[in-house]
Amino acid sequence: MVDKILFIIFAAFTVIGALAVITRKNIIHALLLLVFTFLNIAAIFFLTQAYFIAMIQILVYAGAIMVLFVFVIMFLNLRTFQQEKQTHRQRWVALALSVLVLAEFVAVLYGVTMTSAKGGFVLQSVQGGFSPAQVAAAGGNNAVFGQTLFNNMLLPFEVASVVLLVAMVGAIILVKKEKNAQLATRDWEPGTEPGDDEVEEEV
Amino acid sequence: MTTVPGGIPIPVDWYLYLSAALFIIGAAGVLTRRNLFIILFSLELMMNAVNINLVGFGGFHQNMTGQNFVLFTMAVAAAEAAAGLAIATALFRNKQTLMVDLFDTMKG
Repeated sequence: MVDKILFIIFAAFTVIGALAVITRKNIIHALLLLVFTFLNIAAIFFLTQAYFIAMIQILVYAGAIMVLFVFVIMFLNLRTFQQEKQTHRQRWVALALSVLVLAEFVAVLYGVTMTSAKGGFVLQSVQGGFSPAQVAAAGGNNAVFGQTLFNNMLLPFEVASVVLLVAMVGAIILVKKEKNAQLATRDWEPGTEPGDDEVEEEV
Repeated sequence: MTTVPGGIPIPVDWYLYLSAALFIIGAAGVLTRRNLFIILFSLELMMNAVNINLVGFGGFHQNMTGQNFVLFTMAVAAAEAAAGLAIATALFRNKQTLMVDLFDTMKG
């Protein structure tokens, strides 16, 4: 019962924070509200007994990624944008479509839960062997999380590291000054591809 | 049966309603706002909606794969934030603005 009440409180804070994020003019205010939203989502993860994910949510999301945003926002001088118009011309159509899709989601979810409440085979737990008692007996959430991650998902884990590496290299290349980029790539004559001469000689 | 005896006491459909609301709020932010940073924030909101769905269903089905997968979603979100912010910096350097409807160089 306490869990349900806490879930409702945190879910309400999450939705209010998210609505506030997309309506702020000041980007820093929006960012701080986004951190507030992420902390409430972390609380929801705690209530689901996903303790490791909740800590990662606080450390990586509300910590690292948001600090990255703060860095870039402070790096660029964005104060003048608050005087400009903040929304597109298409905003009313977009809002109407969003509300329509939300109504569709809610209708489908309500139908599904009602059908399964009447005994229909729609939303039944598969009881995958990691109930809270079983997780506690196997050493707690962190231990079970690590075991399942490195037993079942080792290849995706390694691929994720490659994804992060590519993003890091791409970000460095994108923000590099144009002058340096030219110095780095201009080691052949402009207008020709490197290696053109050798190919022609071989033919 | 949206809760399991001895499982997570919160019904799984509550997670789904919350996730749907959060996703739609993020989508509305992407569609209506002009500021590139608010659009990136809205993308993060949508990714978090997906994470809530994954964790909620993982708790309901008593399966760790949902929580494992959230880690990869977060890795992709971090990569997306880094690349998006780099693109924002490059765009601001070229155009001195971040209002996305002003970036119409490739408009036919």
